[in-house]
Amino acid sequence: MPDSSIKKLLIVDDSKVSRILIRTHILAQRPEWLITEATCGEDAIALVNTDPPDYCTMDINMPGIQGTDAAAQILLNHPSIKIVIFSANIQETHQARAHSLGSILVAKPVTEKSIALTLDYFKNAQ
Amino acid sequence: MSKIDTKHFDMDNIFNTINLGLIAVDAEGKVLLWNDWIAKHSNIQEADALNQSLENVFAETVSPAFLTALNSTLTHRLPVVLSTALHRSPLPLYNPPKINQPQTRMYQSIAITPIRSQQNESCGLIQITDSSSSIKREKILRSHSEILKKEATTDGLTDICNRRFFDAHYEMAVADAKRQKHYLSIFMIDIDFFKLYNDQYGHLAGDEVIKQVARTLKAQLSRATDIIARYGGEEFVLVMPYLPKKTAEQFAEKLRSAVFNLAIPHIKSPLFKQITISIGICTGIPENDDNLLNTADTALYQAKQKGRNQFISLALCEIEEYLEQ
Amino acid sequence: MRQFSELHLDALTEIFSIGAGRAALSLSEIVGDEVRISVPSVQIINAEDINPVTLSLTDTGRFGAVSQHFSGPFNAEALLLFTEDQALKIISDMMGSQMSNEELAEFEHEAMCELGNIILNACLSSMADILNFVLESSLPDYTVASAEEILHRLKKDSSQPYVLVLHIDLAIEKRHTAGNLVFLLSTSSLTNLVTHLDQFLGNIHEQN
Repeated sequence: MPDSSIKKLLIVDDSKVSRILIRTHILAQRPEWLITEATCGEDAIALVNTDPPDYCTMDINMPGIQGTDAAAQILLNHPSIKIVIFSANIQETHQARAHSLGSILVAKPVTEKSIALTLDYFKNAQ
Repeated sequence: MSKIDTKHFDMDNIFNTINLGLIAVDAEGKVLLWNDWIAKHSNIQEADALNQSLENVFAETVSPAFLTALNSTLTHRLPVVLSTALHRSPLPLYNPPKINQPQTRMYQSIAITPIRSQQNESCGLIQITDSSSSIKREKILRSHSEILKKEATTDGLTDICNRRFFDAHYEMAVADAKRQKHYLSIFMIDIDFFKLYNDQYGHLAGDEVIKQVARTLKAQLSRATDIIARYGGEEFVLVMPYLPKKTAEQFAEKLRSAVFNLAIPHIKSPLFKQITISIGICTGIPENDDNLLNTADTALYQAKQKGRNQFISLALCEIEEYLEQ
Repeated sequence: MRQFSELHLDALTEIFSIGAGRAALSLSEIVGDEVRISVPSVQIINAEDINPVTLSLTDTGRFGAVSQHFSGPFNAEALLLFTEDQALKIISDMMGSQMSNEELAEFEHEAMCELGNIILNACLSSMADILNFVLESSLPDYTVASAEEILHRLKKDSSQPYVLVLHIDLAIEKRHTAGNLVFLLSTSSLTNLVTHLDQFLGNIHEQN
């Protein structure tokens, strides 16, 4: 077994700035984590199939399929991956969708606070 | 100058005279200012409101949208407006009582702006107007501008739409049809042997015929979406959405017979000895650069060639393929 | 514009997407239905090239424009443009009542001010939050005119050679209403905006 404190995180977001922000904030808290990135839902699904991560952050509005749909597909084959949906759109329908996936919806912008919520979810979901 | 002027008045006096509701709240939403207008329309006196949380001052509930807006102004320090249309009556304020009638809720327009207190605290100023009067004013302004608009878009002779209006409307109708993928029909209509009529009966009589035909064609239209315009001299154009080709053809026949039944004598008209029209129709769901107008024009030309007093209907050729798919 | 890198534009797109999300939330509370607002991209366009064609405002009808003047570390004139037909449709959906266009028109002015105000405030406040500055604003104004007239006025009032342009898609889910709005931001100093973006990106640049 590899060192259990080293976790793999996949960041899915079409915005480079968002990916950098999430990566920076996460690494500040968990410097040992390994981070990969995808810019759309399709790429994320392909990546997960070849190299499944422990955790994933998922944007909703991206070119191609919606992040929530990508998350649903990923969880179908990899139910153990913990996914946090990151979105600027926090209307009830999205909240409900995230919960139905056993995930949580965290409101953008990416800040220390939103990252703390994300890390909490990852930790407690184990 | 202005400083001296304001000192001439007691600001409280101005607040309480103004025909507008004024409430100021601090960052926590506690009431700091409550003018007479508000007191009158809420039946709550200033003394009972000051230093209370605005939410709790009223016996009835305040709309959640109002509280969200107020909160947003206090946090982001950006002004917010609440329109009558979308909120009607956010605060429990009432119209002045009328004898023997229950008091009615006042329709309100509200603006909330961030202000700073003299101690530089972030506060909010809420301005409330009774919007029933502004609704009336807008109605009057509107009807005035409608008249001006009508003059710019109406054909002087026939009182139907002019070419300028048609050009604008046509583009919109095509864009709509493209976007919503619905049928659009263009009818090009021309009075047969009109030049011969003018030569025989004179221009004044000719104008009369144009007027009569325009009136007759217009009388066949019943939907708000349909537009008839004078396209040029004795030519008219009709724009009608949502008709399949067959229905458009039936309608064209209705137009043709309506004009035929006017039975206006025209002894120089070789075939019918009376005023008739030819119609070219193009029906289809426009895509890309499809030009319904050109196709309708081609159809009109064919109708003329085939002997006039009839319609020819053409489909947009791409449409056939589209529907077959 | 040379001053703007791809990363700057990416950051602005993300900022305005967050603003759009906030606006959608406010509107959905009013409508009681899901509202989707998305910002596909942000462009910086030379003011001279601003015209109905470059903005894809091909409708010849009347346009409504809600404008607000923002001031802070830089001054900005924000303008939201939409066709009057779409505006009336969105309002009638938001009002949820069966009203004729003539009746609706009575409310148009004020309701459009509110709709525009929600979107403009959301976009600008998310910008202020994320880039960490404070903005103040005037109350919204609403004008109805042709696209040319509105753009002409914008250009006349702006001393800046560049304008920030966003195309915004708005849809009210169950009612199948969709509209495209154009958001124009003409600032007294794009340089100041760039400076703030750089400060924001500064902490994360080295990771890049």
